[in-house]
Amino acid sequence: MGTFHDTNDPLHGVTVVAVTGKAVHVGRCHERDDRTVVLVDADTHIEEENGKGADGRTNAEYLERVAAYGVWANIPRLTLEADRIESLIPLKDYHPQAEPAAPAAPVPAEEPACATGCDSAGVGAETLGEMVATLAPVQQETLQMTDAAQAEVKRLISAESRPGLGLRLGVSSGGCSGMRYELEFDEPKAGDDILSFDGFDVLMDGVASPVLRGVTLDFESGLNGRGFQFKNPHAKRTCSCGDSFMA
Amino acid sequence: MPYPEVMVAPMRAELTSAGVTELRSAADVDAFFADSAESTLVLINSVCGCAAGSARPAFKLSMDHARRPRRFATVFAGQDLEATSRMREVIGDVPPSSPSLALMKDGRLIHFVPRHMIEGRDAESIADDLKAAFDRVLPEEE
Repeated sequence: MGTFHDTNDPLHGVTVVAVTGKAVHVGRCHERDDRTVVLVDADTHIEEENGKGADGRTNAEYLERVAAYGVWANIPRLTLEADRIESLIPLKDYHPQAEPAAPAAPVPAEEPACATGCDSAGVGAETLGEMVATLAPVQQETLQMTDAAQAEVKRLISAESRPGLGLRLGVSSGGCSGMRYELEFDEPKAGDDILSFDGFDVLMDGVASPVLRGVTLDFESGLNGRGFQFKNPHAKRTCSCGDSFMA
Repeated sequence: MPYPEVMVAPMRAELTSAGVTELRSAADVDAFFADSAESTLVLINSVCGCAAGSARPAFKLSMDHARRPRRFATVFAGQDLEATSRMREVIGDVPPSSPSLALMKDGRLIHFVPRHMIEGRDAESIADDLKAAFDRVLPEEE
């Protein structure tokens, strides 16, 4: 009785655990392609250098509790880079004391397995590559960061010593080319699109997120370096300083 | 935003026709739990076909088990907002999820089945887990 899902992705609508480095992310899988996995009603738990998160729990302890009671949804929409995800499994298949489950054969997307007639199907643990292979590629660009930019953001955020701080990227009217990029360190806000990198999150509001799709954030250091640089393939015009653009 | 009532009416009837008490308002919830000593299984119902579509029949299957709660109730998340909010207060400090199942006794939550333990599973498997929980946590006289 009843279905409101419009996708053949067997993980669509299923609460999953995604692991990226020292971070675990839990949320309902909303959409995914070969570049990104989007979770909704999500939460992220990050082990710091002492092996525990801000709540004093290890990732395993956090997941044990989440597996028993569910997840407090602190992030409405969380976008993860697919190639950073080390494992992605339904939360119901997470067993705190068990060895990682062997990959199961993926459920063909063309054969809905849900007993209620909807498009979702129960699946076992499987690799991201196998799951992505069942999906038609979707051209959806996301923000990219060069290694240099990531390293510099990571360095700056660690200097702030404020857990949960992310890099907020924004756009606003102004600059000699019409729109101006903005960078600041900030905490997540309701409605943010969150892109997870190693050691920090990039935060974008509903205005900035679509504008920054396909943009690469770079960082140039040294005497001739110009700091953070946005490289926007969709910009029709940019100013020489790189601070503003026209989309 | 709630779905049109005509769309969710069959999802309500699937439970009420089996004798489940549907709580439509916060006052309904308060009145129902005024006597909180009795064991009660609550389904936080939802429109999600692939999870609630299994939760509802699982709920009904569990009602026939030899050792079972004295009462069965439901609220509809996303539809009856006040009732659901009040029900979640009664359930206590667990993350809100729908559909989900809460077994209450003496005003306390004694067993909880969050949404992720419902997703992608058939009704019989969910019902078997519920029955096992009844056997484990309910007193024999139930």
